[in-house]
Amino acid sequence: MKIKIISVIILLLLFVNVFHAQSDHKNFDFNCSLCHECENPTKIDPCLKSCPRHEIITVHHTAQQGPKEIILNKFEGIEDIFEPVNFSHRAHSEMSSMAGGCEMCHHYNPPGSIKKCSDCHETNRMRTDLSKPDLKGAFHRQCIDCHSIWDNDVKCADCHAENATEGAQSATKESYAESYHQPVVEPGRIVYETEEMDGVVTFYHNDHVNVFGLQCNSCHKSESCARCHMENNVLADANRDLEEKHAVCSSCHDVDNDCESCHKEKIVEGFNHARSTGFNLNEYHGSVECEDCHKAGKGFKGLKSECSSCHKDWNSSNFDHSVTGLMLDEIHIENDCADCHTEGVYTSQNCENCHDPDIKYPDSKPGTLKKR
Amino acid sequence: MEHSFVPSQMTKKYFTPWVTVIFIIALIGLAILMLRLVFGLGFITNLDNQHPWGIWIAIDVAAGVALAAGGFTTAALGHIMHKDKYEVLVRPALLTAMLGYTFVALGVCVDLGRYYSVWHPLIYWNGNSVLFEVGICVMFYLTVLYIEFLPIVAKKFIGNVNLPGILSGLSKPVDKFLRILYKALDKTMFIFIIMGVVLSCLHQSSLGTLMVIAGPKMHPLWQTPVLPLLFLISAIAVGFPMVIMESTIASKSFGLKPETDLLGDLGKMVGPLLGVYLAFKVGDMFIRETFVYLTELTTESVMFSIELIFGVVVPLRMFLTKSVLKSPTGLFIASMLVIFGVLLNRINNFLVAYTPPYEKVTYFPSFGEIAVTVGFICLEILLYRLFVTYFPVISVPVEKSLQDSKYSLKRA
Amino acid sequence: MGSIKRRDFIKTVTAVGCTAAGLSAVTPKKLNATPENILSKDRYGVLVDTTVCIGCRRCEWACKKAHGIEAGSIDDYDDKSVFQEERRPAHDSYTVVNSYDVPNAEPVTVKVQCMHCDQPACVSACIVGAFSKKENGAVIWDESKCIGCRYCLVACPFQVPTFDYHKAIEPEIRKCDFCYERTSKGQLPACVEICPVEALTYGKRSDLLQIAHDRIHRNPDRYIDHILGETEVGGTSWMYLSKTEFSNYNFPKLGNSPAPGVSESIQHGIFAYFVPPIALYALLGGIMYLTKEKSTEEEK
Repeated sequence: MKIKIISVIILLLLFVNVFHAQSDHKNFDFNCSLCHECENPTKIDPCLKSCPRHEIITVHHTAQQGPKEIILNKFEGIEDIFEPVNFSHRAHSEMSSMAGGCEMCHHYNPPGSIKKCSDCHETNRMRTDLSKPDLKGAFHRQCIDCHSIWDNDVKCADCHAENATEGAQSATKESYAESYHQPVVEPGRIVYETEEMDGVVTFYHNDHVNVFGLQCNSCHKSESCARCHMENNVLADANRDLEEKHAVCSSCHDVDNDCESCHKEKIVEGFNHARSTGFNLNEYHGSVECEDCHKAGKGFKGLKSECSSCHKDWNSSNFDHSVTGLMLDEIHIENDCADCHTEGVYTSQNCENCHDPDIKYPDSKPGTLKKR
Repeated sequence: MEHSFVPSQMTKKYFTPWVTVIFIIALIGLAILMLRLVFGLGFITNLDNQHPWGIWIAIDVAAGVALAAGGFTTAALGHIMHKDKYEVLVRPALLTAMLGYTFVALGVCVDLGRYYSVWHPLIYWNGNSVLFEVGICVMFYLTVLYIEFLPIVAKKFIGNVNLPGILSGLSKPVDKFLRILYKALDKTMFIFIIMGVVLSCLHQSSLGTLMVIAGPKMHPLWQTPVLPLLFLISAIAVGFPMVIMESTIASKSFGLKPETDLLGDLGKMVGPLLGVYLAFKVGDMFIRETFVYLTELTTESVMFSIELIFGVVVPLRMFLTKSVLKSPTGLFIASMLVIFGVLLNRINNFLVAYTPPYEKVTYFPSFGEIAVTVGFICLEILLYRLFVTYFPVISVPVEKSLQDSKYSLKRA
Repeated sequence: MGSIKRRDFIKTVTAVGCTAAGLSAVTPKKLNATPENILSKDRYGVLVDTTVCIGCRRCEWACKKAHGIEAGSIDDYDDKSVFQEERRPAHDSYTVVNSYDVPNAEPVTVKVQCMHCDQPACVSACIVGAFSKKENGAVIWDESKCIGCRYCLVACPFQVPTFDYHKAIEPEIRKCDFCYERTSKGQLPACVEICPVEALTYGKRSDLLQIAHDRIHRNPDRYIDHILGETEVGGTSWMYLSKTEFSNYNFPKLGNSPAPGVSESIQHGIFAYFVPPIALYALLGGIMYLTKEKSTEEEK
């Protein structure tokens, strides 16, 4: 009997345990195995893997949606040498958009609201769980990582106001609530002199952004402030090795085999689809992603200018001819495309299949013109 | 008529030109010692955190202890093994040992940051510490040496205690006390003699263990777990050469005939001892394969070679040569080489071999350190001369019938 | 010697032997009782992560403040020119931060102080037992015992203890004491408390080891698989993590056997319950007795 009661209690405890764990994780939309090594993790033995913290980040929003300023005053030393830091959160989030994004600092955020640093990092350095740095250490590591690249000689006073012994208010740092990062001025054309090869690489930044529609952070993944703000800085392009320089382009360009498409003898003009390929990207194709047509990946070659080479499944029943500016009348709308557009060329019209030779386009139209 | 040797007081004038020079050097040493006491160690020494020990430890203490080994080796030979013919050498050797150890103790005191706490090891014990053992052994051995010398002092005054002035009434009781003391010591002296030898063996070897704890900070040519054994054997081996050297110099200085036959016999024993030492030293070098360091030209390899060749091999060959054993000059030179070898060995072990990991400047003794060390040696010589002038230490030949039993009372 | 009878001789030798044996029975316990040398399972330590250290030298300032040494203004410690030469702990600075150039990377700053060995050479060596290893892991020095012989400086494998050579009276052996006074009040060591980036993690040594192994396991690119102080000289309370070999930072190359091991075993071999000295005493007594007999016979 005793044994039965005990086993019931144990079962109950186990159930409570599992239930409790699940309730903790009720918002989680992950596979358990993302974090746990065993099938039935318990509170006592959670059998955790090393945390895939970046995969757990679930809350995404813009820099402007975050707080403007945070005053970091969670901890007190035995002797307060420095005043709390007024952290310009908005300016920093704006800066991070060119770098690692929010997750540079917010490296762990399971579903729910945005975690505060102090939710995980303890404010007291004298603590039992030493696996994570304490809050003070975590803040400093986070800040100094970037600030030391920015300036080799980081001083405490760069962020902190020194604690005035007489309690003078003047010692406090100014507020950063209204500060923000200046909008970045985009470069137009950049010409890279190449040492290893004769000639130059002409890079049209504006084309890549405006024509090709690349987002800033698809190339600027981990920019440091110093890249722009420091003169003669160590991170300038000249100091990067060949591999690093090519890595940025390699996601679209075949940098291993096709050198000539970028490395030219002279400065070349910016990209123009009509001039380079003979196929003018008018208003219909201007907004289409390159990859939507150039499906073969890097190289962007091999497409013919015929519509049917891409639009294979268009026919008279599913093509709304009015987008061309000509709304077909009731008679012509029944025709097959090839009745008028012979040999697959959709820019020329042939009326002779049905009409006498004196009826010609565009004198006679198979419908009414529409303003596009 | 058969001659026999009896310890007597030296009758020559104390001050000679040479003694005056030595006296002046000693005074300079003492003057500089005053500076150390007033302004601290850093003021006159080249010691720093990388070189905590200098020549005051290497020469005054380590070499001092080794070179005072004549005291216990002759005591063992004369008193314990009862080789009676060497008894004449025991008293001078005892005096040298007594003075030598006194100056070892003084040398330690000078080097100690807190010299006034030198007695602390008596109450604060650390059985793991090699230095503790050395310290305690030296303290006890020094006491034993004083006890061994006491009968010579007591004997001089028994029968003629004449205290001046108001103390004259005490003359009789003091005389009585001296007689009781002399009698008691005569009965128990063998305890102290054996104790002296045991204590010597202990701390002579432990001096070698001192540097073992420095581990990799010590050059592998010297750093070996058999260091204590090497130190003990070399101390025993240098004992007799020290006696030969002193006896030769004393004879010359006091115008006596050198006891070449006796010293030659003593010298015969040095050869085998040096041989054993050499065997251990070379054997250790081959077992630990440290001879590879001798192929490089470094301060360490040069010093090691000098120590081994001129301090051991050459004198070993000399002591095994009959003509050398018969010539006073040959004996003297061979002995000096052994003494030089042991002195250099101690300096090498404590200074040359010690290569601290964060050394910025190499250590070389300052003028102050040298002056104090030389001053102490001079002071020792002066005291030796003083003692042999006032007490019967050095034996002179007399008729056999007058010979007295060594520790027996002067017949009233 | 002639005036004592043989029976007296035997009596006295026996008496001396008994006294010595009695002494030896009492003393070893006493000897082992001092000095204090506790190796507690729960001893504390510090894990120094050199990949995190930013070389701000705040620890130097805090250390001086905590030990009553003239520290000057905290702003003076922004001066990086001191990194031009390697500094060592001294009587007026128990900890220093040095900067070391490493191949193909930014210079690495490394804090130096007493490692607080588990089997400290200084504790073993000190003639008067002025050093002791405390339960919390600290190796500390007792001013009231010290005689200033500096054998601890000779013995220390990390060359840490220092001496004030320019003081004639009461010169002190000085080294990091793991802020023994602060930690016994439940405070952190001063350097650990001030470290802005928590490059110094204070905790139980066993926990720190686990954390250190965990960090290495999770960041194999960031750390080499070596915790300095885990096994060196039998383990130390302060331990280091690094991205490159520790020889780059001028740490002495040390084996895993405790620094005082060899000398202690020699020492205890010579003094095994005082048996060897007493045996030698007896042997010499025997020789003395036998040769005496021979020489008196010859006289007859």
